[in-house]
Amino acid sequence: MRWSSREIRSLGVGLAYLAPSLLLFAAFVFLPLAQTIYLSFFNTRATGAITTFAGLDHYIELLTSPAFRTGLLATAIFALYTVPVGIALGLVLAVLLNQRLRAINVFRTLMSSTIAVSAAVGALIWLLLFNPSLGLLNYLLSRVGVQGPEWLIQPTTAIIAVSITTIWLTLGTNIIVLLSGLQGVPEEIYEAARLDGAKGLRMFTRITVPMVSPSLFFLFVVDTVAVLQAFTQIHVMTRGGPVDATRVLVYSIYQDAFQNFQFGFASAQAVILLLLVMGLTLIQFRFVERRVHYQ
Amino acid sequence: MRKFLGLALALTVVAAACGGAAPGGGSDSSALAPGKDVAPAASITWWHAMSGVNGDALNKIVTGFNSSQSKIKVEAIFQGTYDDLLAKLNTALASNAAPALVQVYDIGQRYMYDSGQVVPMQAFIDRDKFATTDFEPAVINYYKYQDKLQSMPFNASAPLLYFNKDAFKEVGLDPNKPPVTFTEIADAAKKLTKKDASGVTTRFGFGPSIYGWLFEQLLATSGALYADNGNGRDNRATKVVYNSAAGKAILDWWKAGVDGGYFYNPGIDNDGAANAFNAQKTAMYIESIARLRGHITTIAGKFELGTGLYPRPDSKPKEGGNIIGGASLYIMKSRPPAEQQAAWEFVKYAMTPAVQAQWQSDTGYYPIVKAAYDQGPSKEWSTKYPQFLTATTEIRESPQNRMTNGAVLGVMPQARQRTQKMIESVLLGQATSQAALDAAVTEMNAAIDKYNKANP
Amino acid sequence: MRTGTVVNYALLIIGSIVVAFPLLLALSYSLMSESEIATFPPPILPADPTLDNYGQVFATIPIGRYLLNSFVVSSAVVVGQLITASLAAYAFSFLVFRGRQLLFFLFLSTLMIPWEATIIPNYMTIRTIGWLDTYQGLAVPFMATAFGTFLLRQAFMQIPRELWDAARIDGATTFRFLISTVVPLSRPALGTVAIYGFLSTYNQYFWPLLITNQTLMRTTQVGITQLRFEETLRWGLVMAGVIMVAAPTLALLVLGQRQLIRGLTAGAVKG
Repeated sequence: MRWSSREIRSLGVGLAYLAPSLLLFAAFVFLPLAQTIYLSFFNTRATGAITTFAGLDHYIELLTSPAFRTGLLATAIFALYTVPVGIALGLVLAVLLNQRLRAINVFRTLMSSTIAVSAAVGALIWLLLFNPSLGLLNYLLSRVGVQGPEWLIQPTTAIIAVSITTIWLTLGTNIIVLLSGLQGVPEEIYEAARLDGAKGLRMFTRITVPMVSPSLFFLFVVDTVAVLQAFTQIHVMTRGGPVDATRVLVYSIYQDAFQNFQFGFASAQAVILLLLVMGLTLIQFRFVERRVHYQ
Repeated sequence: MRKFLGLALALTVVAAACGGAAPGGGSDSSALAPGKDVAPAASITWWHAMSGVNGDALNKIVTGFNSSQSKIKVEAIFQGTYDDLLAKLNTALASNAAPALVQVYDIGQRYMYDSGQVVPMQAFIDRDKFATTDFEPAVINYYKYQDKLQSMPFNASAPLLYFNKDAFKEVGLDPNKPPVTFTEIADAAKKLTKKDASGVTTRFGFGPSIYGWLFEQLLATSGALYADNGNGRDNRATKVVYNSAAGKAILDWWKAGVDGGYFYNPGIDNDGAANAFNAQKTAMYIESIARLRGHITTIAGKFELGTGLYPRPDSKPKEGGNIIGGASLYIMKSRPPAEQQAAWEFVKYAMTPAVQAQWQSDTGYYPIVKAAYDQGPSKEWSTKYPQFLTATTEIRESPQNRMTNGAVLGVMPQARQRTQKMIESVLLGQATSQAALDAAVTEMNAAIDKYNKANP
Repeated sequence: MRTGTVVNYALLIIGSIVVAFPLLLALSYSLMSESEIATFPPPILPADPTLDNYGQVFATIPIGRYLLNSFVVSSAVVVGQLITASLAAYAFSFLVFRGRQLLFFLFLSTLMIPWEATIIPNYMTIRTIGWLDTYQGLAVPFMATAFGTFLLRQAFMQIPRELWDAARIDGATTFRFLISTVVPLSRPALGTVAIYGFLSTYNQYFWPLLITNQTLMRTTQVGITQLRFEETLRWGLVMAGVIMVAAPTLALLVLGQRQLIRGLTAGAVKG
């Protein structure tokens, strides 16, 4: 394809604006990634030094291993539990916080406070809460006559527990982004809809949601990526267990790289994870973005 | 990439030179140490994983050394947990940034040895004719490979049974005769378990966490091997062998307890298990002696704390005993000989009885050097906390054989994780004991295979 | 007060307590002694509040230095991110050039790359250029952000085309439009990027662990792990550390919140 001089110039201008970011990405993201991809085709010793060429061995081993498939399933379940609930909850709370009431700022701070908590710290607190016999959660439940589950000990509830923790951790971000989106909706639109007779739930679904759909979409993409890479809370709370129930892809990469020191093998997993996430994001952009309403 | 290849080449050459040590000992390794006349470096770095009270005690030793002489200054740097430290060391080794002295946990042994980056402690011992006769045999034997001491043990722990003496008295058990065999523990646990009016258990008799180390210890007291080739000590292990009758007996006992409602299952949360014991949710549990100090502080007189020997099968096999735990010090080869020399000077200092006695009373780890027990701080400690002496008794009474020396595997961290998963699956009812054991063994054998091939 | 308002307040109070509960609990535990925490039924409020744990934190780790380090590094990253992300988002929203879509996906792709895939080669790079144990080493790798670019792109795309056309007619250069119109109008989004960038850098653990060997260059998260001992877990002490580390960021949140609102009313998109 031929490039006109104008096109070349506009590309130049574009690149000029992108240059700072691109340079940093090249040095600290793409270059290391290339090294990792390279490594995925080799066998390595514990220190990471290359020993022999492995070709596609690692990939074949992964794609045919049941442990890998379990990991993918765990990852999918974890994402499904966490992302929609996190965003929905964030939206409900953001709407609640989007009112002109006295001291609303206090409530806003309290509810978005989770953003100030690191995953390690948050996971520690929730680890304490989920303790089956000493944790407050089950104790409070027992006070209302409900026998709490053995949270982190049973495979099914372990994923839920980690999911709850992750939802809590991302709630702050979700609320802030959605609140910012809600506040960008001009009052006139609500006025006009009210004149048309809309109120309550109708107002919410017909006006509010579409108007914040850019923020919703943003969170959808970003939260999915974040959840697919969530590591710390799993490391603190379950170590991938019980019986691999929470051994999501990212965790098994960590284990293989930093615990078992199998860098070649871990690199192959990282590449697969990357491809998966990329594919997912592409799908999201392709099929979901068209429903986003930009003003 | 070239750096990687270069390093790989260097490592193979070094491994070839080192790996040819004759089994059975006898040959002198002094050649691997710097010459006696090499002047020690003025300063070296020591990476460790001790924080809190233990970190303070460690810094005390370092300060003591630095002020006791003016030639060498040691800088001790905390690098996170044992796992973090090893990951960091691994990265540092690949880019030649390792420190002179490093503390690595017990199960990192084989990895350190295979890295070819260690100057074996034996080299210095042979060169200086350093006497190790007064060192605890159990501890020394753990860190020897083919009769050569690779590292110097630093903090040594042992597993114990912790129990609540008040609870014992409450249900009519003798607080001075804690249960020792599987059946005794099960029976005691049944008696100690309490339920409230609505049938909810308010106290469990026994609450061990799902911790690979505890399983390894139970195998040892059963007199069973974890891996082949003498637990990986006669030669590199090629497979794990814990899917034996002993392994099955352990899992069956554990499962029966949980199913029967008198064993509490805190999952993999070791701190949770300790907490449950402190809060009197469980009346007995098993853990390292390193937790003793913490328990005494937290329990603070709420109940009387007792310690007993670690559980073993009813038959009390004669070859059964306990493996020591903790961590040891390695001198790294990548540093110049002057630094290696300095590191050795510090190691010698750390092994003097006075220092060992102080370390013991500051932390609860037991001394490596027997003479330490005669020192003031040690005597005070043992008088104040007689519970601690159980550990010494246990270690001294354990026979010294391959089972009690503990397994040496390059993939030990992974193996430990795998046994934890195995125990989980049995306790959750997902698999029978034998099936779970076999599955774990099959998977680990593949991993060992991979490791051996990748690290010739 | 109308019932609607009462209900609203009730919901807000309940919601806030539920969401802030874990943090409040951490605060509560930080004021308890170890012995009190290890009891059953689990305590909620301290019977005998004590500041001992906080004193212990100061005695155990140089927390002041860690907070300083985290602040410096996080601030540097924020400044870097605001600059690089604004420039990039502008290109993706207002400029037209061939390959724009492709480059956008290139940016997005960086979000999807798991950190384990890049951390070790990055360590080697930082080590080679001598940036271990430095503020640059801690900050520079994170000064570009696809997340921020994406967020700002969404915000920039909300700005009406008419403004852009009008500016072009007035003869404004591309860069001038960015500085004089786009940036002021996007304050809330910029605020979000800043806050998010600050917090995620502040909360990092593995990277600072890997590249700092000197105690004095450590950051808060790594510092806190020194309160998590290999042999025991002292909840009171850990929670005290947690509160001390989270307090500055919470304070920032309170301030940042107001800025968001202020920015919005000042530069809100009208009509």
